[in-house]
Amino acid sequence: MTKTRTANLAGALAVATVLGLGGGAMAAETIKIGIPVGLSGANSVVAPSVVQAAELAAAEINKAGGVLGRQIELVVADDGSGAQGAQKAFDSLVFQKKVDVLISMETSAARNAGLPIVNRGRVPFIYTSFYEGRSCSPWLYVNAWVPEQQVAPIVDHFMSAEGAKTFFLVGSDYAFGRGMLEFTADYIAQKGGKVLGDEYLPMDGTDWTAIISKLKSSGADALITSTAGGAPNVTLTKQLRAAGVDIPYGNLAVDEGTARNMGADAAGIYISASYITDIPSQENQAFLRNMKAHFGDDLKTPNDLSVPQYEGVYLYKLAVEKAGTTDSQAVIDALDDVAFMGPRGKIQMNKQRHAPLTMYLAQVQADGGIRLISSFKDVDPGEQCPNL
Amino acid sequence: MGGLLLDILTTAAILFAVASGLMIILGVMKLINFAHGAFLTIGGYAAFVTTQLGWNPWLAVPFAALVGFVLGLIVERTIVRPLYTRPLDAILATWGLGIIIGQVITIVFGREVQFVQSPISGAIEFLGQSYSTYRLVLVALAALLAVALTALLYFTRFGLNARAVIMNEDLARGLGIDSTRVRLTTFGLGAALASMAGALVTPLISVDPNLGLPWLVNSFMLVLVSGISIPGLMVASLILGGAQVVVSTYVSAILGGLTIVVLAAVILRLRPQGLFSG
Repeated sequence: MTKTRTANLAGALAVATVLGLGGGAMAAETIKIGIPVGLSGANSVVAPSVVQAAELAAAEINKAGGVLGRQIELVVADDGSGAQGAQKAFDSLVFQKKVDVLISMETSAARNAGLPIVNRGRVPFIYTSFYEGRSCSPWLYVNAWVPEQQVAPIVDHFMSAEGAKTFFLVGSDYAFGRGMLEFTADYIAQKGGKVLGDEYLPMDGTDWTAIISKLKSSGADALITSTAGGAPNVTLTKQLRAAGVDIPYGNLAVDEGTARNMGADAAGIYISASYITDIPSQENQAFLRNMKAHFGDDLKTPNDLSVPQYEGVYLYKLAVEKAGTTDSQAVIDALDDVAFMGPRGKIQMNKQRHAPLTMYLAQVQADGGIRLISSFKDVDPGEQCPNL
Repeated sequence: MGGLLLDILTTAAILFAVASGLMIILGVMKLINFAHGAFLTIGGYAAFVTTQLGWNPWLAVPFAALVGFVLGLIVERTIVRPLYTRPLDAILATWGLGIIIGQVITIVFGREVQFVQSPISGAIEFLGQSYSTYRLVLVALAALLAVALTALLYFTRFGLNARAVIMNEDLARGLGIDSTRVRLTTFGLGAALASMAGALVTPLISVDPNLGLPWLVNSFMLVLVSGISIPGLMVASLILGGAQVVVSTYVSAILGGLTIVVLAAVILRLRPQGLFSG
């Protein structure tokens, strides 16, 4: 994700204590969960919702007696949404705070910078952000989607329901943007479609004029975009709408909240996600109720980046209970055996350290709401880490 | 081809609108206002407030200008004026001010992208193709702005005084022109123009605390290249904006983003005083 002025506040550790709810369970040592997350920088818009999701999971678990009789303590550290901040945050969490596990949603840059520290410190790391795929480490598990799971629903829908044969791809010029669109181009070719052009703008770029002119003159049937989150996504969408582009528009990088803030400009956009607030399941309804009850007016809307964080904490709890210990190797061995029924459905990270996920194709409505179009059950993450 | 010309014309119009406030302040006060980006952001949030209040989206533009003008007066009086005799410190102060404004906006409105109602949406048929209505309107508004600014500088008492201060401030003061007052009004005007431009571009960009940042460097380059001249700024906007569109279209949009800065550096190497200054 983006961008300028990354105020690097790493090192400033915020200790969010969620103790004491069980009452008198202070005797045993707490289990420390480290959460390096982008409180400043590009991820700062979404990070508060991620922290809230973890806080609810910890509060619920502690209230129900903790894990193996021990309470959970969350240790949140700002990674500044980038590599430099992540090194400090991981180092501090692993070696000074001596956390038992890391569970967090981060940028790819932060994750890549943190992994060597995780390998050195030998702590389990559950990564809860969707990403470009194929990040592999003996200590890493991922419970969010990879391109193999996200792209297919949109392309398939455009080809079958909208009759699209030719596509135009637009993205931000960075690993995630390019990675997603390269995968998309391959997938379209596989399905017999044709990509008429792919265009990129730097992550902090705001002027899509020339790219939109090219898109219009290409005569493509459908558009798929993968920009950095936040501003680039909004500028592209506004400029597309101002230019009167009304072909089917699939956006691989927009979340429900941003879509809502774009108002009428976002209407008609197709999104593909493993979580939308509309999921009718009992688990999701209960989750939304509990979030509302716990955070009240301060609630940040749960989303595709925060819900996996909630489930990640529970998956760790189940793995520790199965292993009977917080010993790193034992927990790593247990993690792919445990499954949790969360807001997104059944989550089990048993496919080469990744999880098959139910994916939802949805369309943004004129009133800012999201309409569920179809769901795709247990989409396989494909070949991610064949050697693990 | 028609599309390319329209792209160039509309891009230039946007650049002109965005850079004009910076040029006015630089011309009269010899001060590069690094808070220019922040005033653009203020304009974007003025448009957001307009939407929140349920006003007609067009009102965002005069409202933003008013907010910018008032804030500009306050800033000039409290921050810029005490540093008259220390121009370098004044520039640094505007930079710091830009950061403070950005943080205050973050605290008040939050970091997230805000929704602003657009006055016009969609495209119309123009020169045989469909083109963004709003961008075409922007060209007309930029032209109007150029005429209004020219009129202000050449047909009003304020303009006469301002031009006198631009040419020779000591002499102007000697002739009884209250240069302090001219500076105050100018800073207010420059801030109002920036804020108005911020409101004008909101239908095309994301309203968030960093709204103005990407425009600051480009405005700066445009003003350096053009020198202090309204027709000069128009020509510079056409040349640099045109080059950006051409490079984005025929080479790569990634290089297109660098075009203005690189081309401006080349022009300044060949003509250090700018294209239109003596």
